[in-house]
Amino acid sequence: MNTLSYILIQCGVILLTAPLVNGLIRKVKAWSQKRRGAPVWQMYADLYKLIRKGTVVSDVSSWVFKATPYLVFATALSAALLVPISIRIQPALLPGDFIMLVSILALGRFFLMTAALDTASTFGGMGSSREALISSLIEPSIMVSLITLALLSHTTSLSAMMGSMQLLRLPLIHPAFLAVFLAWMIILLAETARLPIDDPATHLELTMVHEAMLLEYSGRHLALMEYGAALKQLVLITLIVNLFFPHDQWIPMAGIAGIGLSITIYVFKVILFALLIGWIEVNTVKLKLFSIPNLAALAFILSFLGILQYLIVGGA
Amino acid sequence: MILGSLSVLILLSSFVLMANKHIKSYVKTFRAQSLLIACATGIMGVESLLKDSRVDVLVVCVLIIALKVIYIPKLLNKTHAHTHYKVEKDFILNIPLLVIICFALVVFSYFILSSLGESHVQLANSVSVIWIGLFFMISRRKAIGQIIGFLVIENGLFISALLITEGMPFIVDMGILVDLLTAAMIMGFMVNRIDEEFESVDTDRLNNLKG
Repeated sequence: MNTLSYILIQCGVILLTAPLVNGLIRKVKAWSQKRRGAPVWQMYADLYKLIRKGTVVSDVSSWVFKATPYLVFATALSAALLVPISIRIQPALLPGDFIMLVSILALGRFFLMTAALDTASTFGGMGSSREALISSLIEPSIMVSLITLALLSHTTSLSAMMGSMQLLRLPLIHPAFLAVFLAWMIILLAETARLPIDDPATHLELTMVHEAMLLEYSGRHLALMEYGAALKQLVLITLIVNLFFPHDQWIPMAGIAGIGLSITIYVFKVILFALLIGWIEVNTVKLKLFSIPNLAALAFILSFLGILQYLIVGGA
Repeated sequence: MILGSLSVLILLSSFVLMANKHIKSYVKTFRAQSLLIACATGIMGVESLLKDSRVDVLVVCVLIIALKVIYIPKLLNKTHAHTHYKVEKDFILNIPLLVIICFALVVFSYFILSSLGESHVQLANSVSVIWIGLFFMISRRKAIGQIIGFLVIENGLFISALLITEGMPFIVDMGILVDLLTAAMIMGFMVNRIDEEFESVDTDRLNNLKG
């Protein structure tokens, strides 16, 4: 498939699905509290409303504050291009590897933290210091777990990794992949500001991390920030479902029909995964901020166990 | 392959135990670990039943579920309900450091068992469970933590023996399980008595006995 149609399909599917994940997670939480809850497409309506509204920018803030929403959105979208939703639509040459993915996401986060400091509000500074704590604890385990996968599949490109995972059929039976998968579950919850680490539904100053950094934003800027966060969440979910639950090997037909079926199965997997995240959120309580290093240590150890299994057992 | 994954999960559960500080979740994690061990034993049992039509491994599996998954956790919960403390507060080191030291223990057991060749991976995982149980006993100051550590050591020993021998003689397994049951009962009883008498089960106070 050529590069242009890859970009169009990839961006289209990711942009359309990302707010749905948030809607589904909120719906699961509402069900658990015996409420009907907002419709699953609520976030689309919210984004539409915010984009039409004007923005308020503090007089004392610099260009960083205004540039950050666009940067956060752009980094999330370019990260999305590195993680193909289906192995069938990837172009012949897909530049970039997992190191680039991690650094693109880190760039977005850097600007997010700087912009929160920029307005000199106390909540923003508190939010960025907490974000820095969490991300510096979680990023080593992202790198180590992805290095394990790269060693097992002899490539650093994410799409080639997905290809080699498909040859295994059910990767999760393999001990190394099992350890890395469990590490990724912790990483996903930490990176997307989900419940054991950070509560996305709260605006209580004692507990918020990600929301504290968005407090000063309004209108179009806020819409871009929230859309960027949703995109990043979907990129990480895509990485997990396509690496550990590959589906393309089960599809017999080729061509347009195969691609359509593959994308449908992908969306279905994402929906199931969103329900799983909602279920996890319902069943956990928020950790104390100083207990987060314990969880991060577990994620790090899990990804290291993966690499240890690789070094002993050898390639899969 | 499935046994390998199970042994990784058993190792993981001992890490989770190490990163916890609520007594209630100690018992929960111990129960989950025992359940995983029962699964591994069940798989081995079905294999040996099909291969040489032995039923004793399956009987041991049922015994493990009865004792380690149901009875001993219940006993521990009862002991826990009587004592005064619910959360472990003072460790010898902080938790992330403890977890990383545990990981060094895992690397150590991989290193010492690496001469055995490729088949030893599951064995290395289960031997590390023994080390972690030992280290768990050292790192906790309260008596219930030490009972759990003892039980985790036993779990590690059991799964190692199972993986090496593909099912030990029935009488040996029975002996170990009954021994374990008696030990857990006596220790639970002792913890209760000590708590009643001295209003604390901090083992550091034993240092006062030194001359």
